[in-house]
Amino acid sequence: MEKQECMVCGYIYDPAVGDPDSGIEPGTPWEAVPDDWYCPDCGADKSMFEKIG
Amino acid sequence: MRYAIVGSGVAGTTAAQTIARADPSGEIDLFGGEAYPYYRRPQLWALIAGELEQDALYYRPVDWYAKRGIRLRLGSNVAAIDRDGHRLTMDDGSTSAYDRVLLATGARPFVPPIAGVQKEGVFALRTLDDALAIKAYAQEVESAVVVGGGLLGLETARALNAAGLEVTVVEFYTHLLPRQLDVEGAAVLQALLEEQGLRIITGARTEAVMGNGRASGIKLQGDVQVGGGLILFSTGVRCEVALAKAAGLQTNRGIIVDSHLETSDEDIFAAGDSTEFRGRVYGIIPPAIEQARVAAANMVDPGSASYAGSVPLTILKVAGAELTSIGDSLGQGEDVVALRHMDLPARHYRKLVLQHGRIIGAILLNDRDRAKIVRQLIERGVDVSARGEQLLDDRFDLGSLLH
Ligand SMILES: Cc1cc2nc3c(=O)[nH]c(=O)nc-3n(C[C@H](O)[C@H](O)[C@H](O)COP(=O)(O)OP(=O)(O)OC[C@H]3O[C@@H](n4cnc5c(N)ncnc54)[C@H](O)[C@@H]3O)c2cc1C
Ligand SMILES: [Zn+2]
Repeated sequence: MEKQECMVCGYIYDPAVGDPDSGIEPGTPWEAVPDDWYCPDCGADKSMFEKIG
Repeated sequence: MRYAIVGSGVAGTTAAQTIARADPSGEIDLFGGEAYPYYRRPQLWALIAGELEQDALYYRPVDWYAKRGIRLRLGSNVAAIDRDGHRLTMDDGSTSAYDRVLLATGARPFVPPIAGVQKEGVFALRTLDDALAIKAYAQEVESAVVVGGGLLGLETARALNAAGLEVTVVEFYTHLLPRQLDVEGAAVLQALLEEQGLRIITGARTEAVMGNGRASGIKLQGDVQVGGGLILFSTGVRCEVALAKAAGLQTNRGIIVDSHLETSDEDIFAAGDSTEFRGRVYGIIPPAIEQARVAAANMVDPGSASYAGSVPLTILKVAGAELTSIGDSLGQGEDVVALRHMDLPARHYRKLVLQHGRIIGAILLNDRDRAKIVRQLIERGVDVSARGEQLLDDRFDLGSLLH
């Protein structure tokens, strides 16, 4: 699955890991991450992320 | 169409990318005053802390630009804009034509004009060059003083601490994070930072940098001295408006733009830290990206996109705690009411700022679920006036207000 990178701070969203602290289970693909989720490191919203590569 | 972008920070780079996508046949000149391709400023802390190497900073390989038809001109300062002739003049006297230009010139640190600031060992942090100099100097000294206890000052203090220095933070206001926190919230934060090993002095005016040639500390009002071989000023930034001003564009604190990110000249746009929108200079990255996207869209197709402002959200992580401030968290406007819940021993803090029955700002500690809901309530302007103090109550389901 494709990873996404935060353009603001460089945090990487890895679907295999998810973001359990924000209630995103491991295995959650990017498209299924809810729109109100935000970068756990800097607070940027989903629109600030880009596919890696 | 020939586009020029002045400044290759996050606003300039985002705009170049957006234009390249929207108008693949357009020509794009991207002028960067710094010698390096785009890097993220927040990562400079990791560089200073020794957690990241310089090579790992660069976000895009150099050929990324060329592949998109973007002519990246690094170390190239734009000195003047000839609006009638639609030409930019560089530092070295050469000129470059444009049809539409974006001013993404950012901001520069403001260091107060006090005695001794020119001494060796006195720094401010904005650029990679600054960070490299700070990192090198940190190896020669044991301790540091950070003047300014805002978000940037505290993060820099933590980075210097991680690099092995003893760090004292000196804040002029009576409490830390004066732009985000009130006295109560700052007390909780200060306790956390002190536990982590930082020394903190608040309500103190810095009067001079001490030392013979090399800095050895600072002198506070009342003749108190604080020792430190590295002095870091984190006392705010000023928008880089000189170029715009000299060209006769309308400026105030920043370059003034309308909802199309257009300046007072219809072929000149502005975005990012250099820019003032409805009296506001955001000074953080997400609004810079949003503005750059809108400006770029309008440079390609005038009037095609508009900007309505951003609800900023910032996070400070300290000693395992997470402090989130959203929107107008200080609430200094008219008819503003603040609701607050605080428990210092338990390290609890929660604050909501309301105006005319709507939440306009908030501060939350270790409360990400609630932060997500509050941000939505602010963005959607939901009327919460019927709820009063209930809004702070753990037993009340805040999310129910979104439906
Ligand atoms: C250490 C540090 C950490 C930060 N952390 C965060 C964070 O975690 N989250 C966040 O949201 N924000 C953070 N910020 C703020 C953030 O970096 C700024 O909001 C952001 O850089 C603004 O982008 P910009 O493109 O508008 O301006 P800048 O990044 O300042 O870029 C402007 C560029 O334009 C160039 N330039 C200026 N004039 C000219 C000219 N005449 N000709 C050619 N080039 C020119 C400058 O050299 C500069 O490279 C941080 C800032 C610092 C210093
Ligand atoms: Zn991020």
